[in-house]
Amino acid sequence: MKKLYIIGAISLLAAGCKPSVDITKEPTAGDAVFSYYMAIGNSLTAGFADNSLYVSGQVNSYPQRLFEQFQKVRVHGAEGNFIQPLLHSDNGYGWDGTGTSITDNRARLVLGWSTNCYGKTSLAPMPLPTFSPDAADASFTNPDAGDQLNNIAVPGIRVADYPVDGYGNPINGNPYATRFYHDVTKSPFTELSYRISRLHPTFFTLWLGANDVLGYATAGGQGDGSGSASPIFGNYYSSTDITPPSVFQHIYDSIVSVVIGTGAKGALINIPDVTSIPFFTTVPVNGLYLSRQTQVDSLDAFYRSKNYKFHLGYNNFIVQDNAGVTRQAVDGELILLNVPQDSISCYGWGSVLPIKAQYVLTTDEIQNIKLFTDKFNSYIAGAARRNNLALIDMHSYMASLKSGMVYSGVTYTTQFVTGGAFSLDGVHPTPRGYALIANEIIKGINAQYHSTINYCDPNKYDGVRFP
Amino acid sequence: MKKQLLTASLAFSALASFGAGYQINLEGLRQMAMGGAGSAWVWDASTIFYNPGGVARLKTLQAYGSIMNINPSTAYGNTTGSTRSVAQSFTTFNFYFGGTVKKDSRLGLGLGIYTPFGNGLKWEDGWTGRFLTQEVQLRTIFVQPTVSYKLGEFLSVGAGFIYANGTFMLRNAIPVQQYGAGYTYGPNADGGVDMRGQGNGVGFNLGLHFKPSDNLQVGLTYRSQVNMNVGGGNATFYVPTSLKTEFPNGQFETSLPLPQVASLGIGFRPLGSDKLTICANVDYTGWNSFDSLVINFKQHTDQLKDQHVPRHYKNTTTYRLGGTYKISKVVSAMAGASYDQSPTVQGFVSPDLPDYDRVNISFGASVRPAKRITLLAACEFTATPKHAVTYDFGNFNGTYTTQAITVGIGAHYNF
Repeated sequence: MKKLYIIGAISLLAAGCKPSVDITKEPTAGDAVFSYYMAIGNSLTAGFADNSLYVSGQVNSYPQRLFEQFQKVRVHGAEGNFIQPLLHSDNGYGWDGTGTSITDNRARLVLGWSTNCYGKTSLAPMPLPTFSPDAADASFTNPDAGDQLNNIAVPGIRVADYPVDGYGNPINGNPYATRFYHDVTKSPFTELSYRISRLHPTFFTLWLGANDVLGYATAGGQGDGSGSASPIFGNYYSSTDITPPSVFQHIYDSIVSVVIGTGAKGALINIPDVTSIPFFTTVPVNGLYLSRQTQVDSLDAFYRSKNYKFHLGYNNFIVQDNAGVTRQAVDGELILLNVPQDSISCYGWGSVLPIKAQYVLTTDEIQNIKLFTDKFNSYIAGAARRNNLALIDMHSYMASLKSGMVYSGVTYTTQFVTGGAFSLDGVHPTPRGYALIANEIIKGINAQYHSTINYCDPNKYDGVRFP
Repeated sequence: MKKQLLTASLAFSALASFGAGYQINLEGLRQMAMGGAGSAWVWDASTIFYNPGGVARLKTLQAYGSIMNINPSTAYGNTTGSTRSVAQSFTTFNFYFGGTVKKDSRLGLGLGIYTPFGNGLKWEDGWTGRFLTQEVQLRTIFVQPTVSYKLGEFLSVGAGFIYANGTFMLRNAIPVQQYGAGYTYGPNADGGVDMRGQGNGVGFNLGLHFKPSDNLQVGLTYRSQVNMNVGGGNATFYVPTSLKTEFPNGQFETSLPLPQVASLGIGFRPLGSDKLTICANVDYTGWNSFDSLVINFKQHTDQLKDQHVPRHYKNTTTYRLGGTYKISKVVSAMAGASYDQSPTVQGFVSPDLPDYDRVNISFGASVRPAKRITLLAACEFTATPKHAVTYDFGNFNGTYTTQAITVGIGAHYNF
């Protein structure tokens, strides 16, 4: 009997065998004060994804992730609520500033089945089939009586737009600004000062500048790209050209000085290499596939005067460059993701007809984009250095994605759809991608301010969803 | 053009998951209670496993059976939190039948059925490492007919043929998610894969048993590597409907090395009587044959490619020490300890087998209520110190600690 007792006791011991590992450390604020955090930026900061602004994207923005981590700091951690100008629905924002619905390009993209002219059905991004804009989304009612707003990012906004009065004007203004700007007749600078007076931020992140080159890039390099553009109206620069560097530097420095005017500390995030994102890298320049010799012969004949030679297999597309010249693309040139794919597969674009200039980034245009991205980033780095702010090198980080990156068992690449980091528009991250960005920012903040903010867990959040 | 959207390999680093052997080292209760030191002293028919050379030393034919209950638990932590593996309990058994056919015969014969390798680890659903592993399980059964011959009092030899059969299962999440109805965002439900397979292999073991005197015995044994070849495992994928063709359910092949082990054991009676017996063992295990885990799928797609997961295991040495104290003619008590090196190499420690050097402490008792019958009970406590490791292949780092309690009971009967 005694032995039975012993075995019973051992079994109880076994049930109580519970090892534990607690190596969590209390996060600390270091030299920074995270009590009141403000996020300033463009679509990347607003939580834009799938070519649209929608509430599930907004609540997964990287500022939201940062706030959640700042909140866990006991001394000098974030206080109160993190207020973003949230939409109500997941449909996508479908209003212009006059309250007219603009259904053409605001519906959230989803992966769905589509059939091309040959009757071939495949999985592809398409606008939400049941899109109907939610009337409640046309304007934003702040839940905070004091009009506090922590994320004042506006999709599409450039550094160059900051001094422009009437930026949120219901007519011809930016509808995303119209939604929540305190005074739509004034400039983003005025809005920034107003929001600072409401929140008194002690910490900020500032991620602006991508649109000062991206507008030119996503329009296929439609402006002249020399960085010497003049305003097309008042102090407003064309949104499809590159902002002149001197203008960029002057305004960027002013934004920084306004934000740090109340003593806030923060992080400046630089401009990613926009040409490495799926929007530019998904459609291969040599996507003209010829499977039969008769196709080769007829194209050879068609372009005899230009002496273009075709061969079986993959050939470089025929494109139109910015000067309107039709020619064969050269290696390294980029075809944009928004090129009408049916026109290529069914209507001879890229072969007997050129792919239109707005869907092509030529070698010169790519050079311009790289040149000015580097230039703007040197200004951003200078501003961080002079003002002792953290500099987050998102340019290098996103470049590291290009060759593939593994994080907690998930492989991320810049591959469209399957890469995991980018949403269906090929420009904006998925919730999981935004979480990775938040962690990269935390790394830079910790290094600059000797803080020990914890990373978030990207595996908690969505990648691309499939039907 | 649209079909190119889904070409490159999907974010599917998964299938990194199968832990190789988790050597169980619980093939006899008395040896288990003595820190696993067993190749030197011939106690009972479990010598079929511990030293086949000892079978011819058994006085009679003996039937031996034991059953063990293993209760492991592993905890994982990183700087943002911690979790513990799902409580699981595994039962293993040993059965031996063998000895000398006739009294004073020089020939010993035996049959052993035992479970030398196994592993089981299951993490909570939704845990952060789920894309590397959600659950693994390996079970093996070795069947070993054995022949042994006593050349003289000084030396007996033995050899066994091993037929091994095993099953394994692994599950992990795949980072693809499905829309809810009408393209809504439902709960974050990942895709997943469930792989099950059955394999077999053959091997052998050899033993030399030296008995210079009644108070000193020495054992030298070798067990060959057994390659468990899994020919037709079944992989079942749980993915969104649109990806079904990219992740077709189907067969796969893999092979797992169950490594070779060489042991040197020494046992002696320091008091010059059978009151106290001390045994020590050094085991050298050839884990370096587990260089990588390769899984070949029968059907490949753009997303589903063969998996090649580096493991780079290293050979290990295990030190064992134990003693038996004979309290009376009827009752003995045993105790022991061992230090078991882990084959894992920093940089390659995956959460499916977050192994580390183990310390085992064990004790047990035997009772002989009747002349032919002996009852045995043993208990072993295993712990790995907390260790911070990295798994570079999956960029997954953290600190682990494992504890396990094993209890076993058994009996043998002399014919």
